[in-house]
Amino acid sequence: MSRLLIGCMIGLIAVTSTVSAQEIKRSLVIPYEGESKVKVRHSMDMDGMIMNENKDRLPDGCKEISGDLQFTVHAGRKYAARFPGKMFAYDQQEWEVEPCSRITVKFVNDDHIRHQFMIHGLPEYLYPPTGMFTIEVTGPGSKTATFIVPDEPKTFLVHCELAQHMEKGMKAQMKVGQGDGDIASIPGLTPVENPDSYRVDWTASRWVYLVLAMLAGLGAVLGFRFYRRDKAGQ
Amino acid sequence: MKDVWPPRTPAYVQQGLVNMKNEMKRWVVAAVVILVGVEAWVYRGLNGDVWINAPATEEYVSVKKTDPNGTGEPAKLCTSGYEVWRQQHEIDGVNVNESPRCEPDNPWAVAAVVKGTNNVSMKTLMQTRLASDAVIKSDDLDGDGDPDVIHIKLEVSELNGSSPDGDRFLPTYEIAPGVQPGLWVFTPKTRGMAAINLFSYEAIRDLRAPSPVIRVEQGDIVKITLENTHYLPHTIHLHGVDHPYVNAAGEGNDGVPLTDERPVLPGDRKTYTLKPRQTGTMFYHCHVQTAKHLMMGLQGMFVVEENRPNNWLQTLNVGAGYVRHSSVAVKASYEHEYDLHYQSIDNDLNSIIQKANDPRLIARRMNREYDITDATSDYFLLNGRSFPYTLRESIIVVRPDENVKLRVLNGQENVLSLHTHGHKATITHLDGIERPRAQQVIRDVYDLSSAQRMDLRLSTQNDGLHSYGPGVWLFHNHAEKGITTNGRGPGGDISMVVYRSYLENDGMPKLQGVGVDRFLDPEYNAGNIPIWEGSEATSLLGEAGSVEPDAWRVVMLGLVFGIIVGLLSLLRTSVAGPGRGMK
Repeated sequence: MSRLLIGCMIGLIAVTSTVSAQEIKRSLVIPYEGESKVKVRHSMDMDGMIMNENKDRLPDGCKEISGDLQFTVHAGRKYAARFPGKMFAYDQQEWEVEPCSRITVKFVNDDHIRHQFMIHGLPEYLYPPTGMFTIEVTGPGSKTATFIVPDEPKTFLVHCELAQHMEKGMKAQMKVGQGDGDIASIPGLTPVENPDSYRVDWTASRWVYLVLAMLAGLGAVLGFRFYRRDKAGQ
Repeated sequence: MKDVWPPRTPAYVQQGLVNMKNEMKRWVVAAVVILVGVEAWVYRGLNGDVWINAPATEEYVSVKKTDPNGTGEPAKLCTSGYEVWRQQHEIDGVNVNESPRCEPDNPWAVAAVVKGTNNVSMKTLMQTRLASDAVIKSDDLDGDGDPDVIHIKLEVSELNGSSPDGDRFLPTYEIAPGVQPGLWVFTPKTRGMAAINLFSYEAIRDLRAPSPVIRVEQGDIVKITLENTHYLPHTIHLHGVDHPYVNAAGEGNDGVPLTDERPVLPGDRKTYTLKPRQTGTMFYHCHVQTAKHLMMGLQGMFVVEENRPNNWLQTLNVGAGYVRHSSVAVKASYEHEYDLHYQSIDNDLNSIIQKANDPRLIARRMNREYDITDATSDYFLLNGRSFPYTLRESIIVVRPDENVKLRVLNGQENVLSLHTHGHKATITHLDGIERPRAQQVIRDVYDLSSAQRMDLRLSTQNDGLHSYGPGVWLFHNHAEKGITTNGRGPGGDISMVVYRSYLENDGMPKLQGVGVDRFLDPEYNAGNIPIWEGSEATSLLGEAGSVEPDAWRVVMLGLVFGIIVGLLSLLRTSVAGPGRGMK
């Protein structure tokens, strides 16, 4: 408990110090289940925050950096325009990268509110305490940070963790080495698990399909019957 | 053999066929049962569930909004053209204040009820629809320069009632675009048609909600004659107004059928007499089947003014709202005076008169079948209208550093939580009784229970307390139902305090938000317009489109259905036994 308090106080100091608009880097001590303490690398200023930036520490199983990738990722309401029924989105919904890639993301926020580029499921020993890497931009502008993906094939969730932002479209996936499947409900990409229901409009073509299919079904049975009768008759 | 049809078949083959058919019958029945299950499963899947790409936003195009009259002109809230009526007038020696709103009261009608329809010139009276005996004023008993015997005649009018001659309401009265609830109102005694002309079903201006505000002077001998022009019994009960229980002849004078008088039957009249000793903002309503008749609209504000010299009062304020000729006492302390009458309507009650024409059926449905304990209000009126029509008549127009008197009556079934944006007003009177000065609290939400009244002093002194400065400031019921029309808002009793610097020449407020014209489309009140339609949010938050049923499921549905029908026909012919069916 006292550690939590200390952590909060340091966090508070970190937040209040940002008034000076100077970037500050601190190691926060955050207790979490299973371990007495872990170090979260955290930098924050008026424009945003970066958690667990990692430019050089290799994940277990990576002998070396397989390649350096530079991504620019935009976030904003306008990128949801091509996904009806969504309100926020990234400009891309999927990335495929080689295992052990070092990825530098320039995260551009095109809205006037906060957005995040947050990845879950990374190795906890590099991205403590829960395996998360985050870039947060507090308003119009951008921040750049780097992380290194592990060596095994895996699909990572990329999303914005503001309340309902992921649900309303700000969701993507990053496949390391072809990944290990798809993540649900990525706009335009993967099916949802809990679908919305819309009005059903029986268009002319669907009526035609229905009638033709009915005739086909009926025809199939009757045809079979006549075939049998002929056969029996002979 | 090939020439013979039907071919002859050896007996052992026939027997084999019968056995086979019996065997097949069972298989066919089993197949049909399974296929019906498959069909149900396919059919269930034909819902509007969407797994990846949601349907695009549908564009809503309203013909009425863009071209209400087929003239190529967009809809506009204020089209009245009442420039002359808005101006200040001197009519038959009566000063009628300027009323700078879209639809002001008829200044000649104001003059007629100030002077008395018996005293005003015929020329003035002809500018109104009032009867010559609507308000008779005479006898300056105390010699202070104003009449002290006031005889008011009220009729009972039904608005938006049914017609045996067609599926329409008569005479019509719109509280909001496309919204015409059935209403009963006390109305001034008028002359001529109830409709504005032979070719219209629309009610004349005097036939409207709320029932008119009645203003009399303390100590006046007041006679109110109820001429029951309606088809059900009614009375008038003077709530909070000093009146004797029985009149001089010993007849009931309290309007209560249970205690002191028989209701006034259709075609009869009854005169109530009073000489009020106390001043204040009071109430009057029908006391026959009160729960229903009051909520149908037979309720009005009753104001007793102080006795002052030369105190000619605007005896009736038709439609409530701005008082164009205030009393001497009010003028001494206030620049302007407004009557604000709030009402609520349960359409289950008010539509009863629209669904039957026979008064017996109406009486049965209203008094024995309709259960007010299950009632919920659908419409909320300020001075007989709902937003946006409230803005035509019931905006409060002010200048800086003025004092405005607001008389508020809650005729709703629920509490009224009146809230003024940008202002904190002072509660000076409750139920007509002046508060001791130390108890005249300043608030920004003024709560009134049903039937209660409150007088407010709205100061426009820009001191951060009484007023935050010039602007267009809403005032509305903050019990949130009240700002909707059948649950959709903005609607209900929303109106505005408008500073002169924010007032257009046509009496409408200068608005810099989304505006009000788009709420003129009756489709809006019918719930057919996406709520942010017309703004830049349309593409994001407009109507979600529909989806086509999945093609493969449709084909499956048809195919399986066809097979089931085919199998059933097979079954029918095969049960006919040997010699028929599968020969």
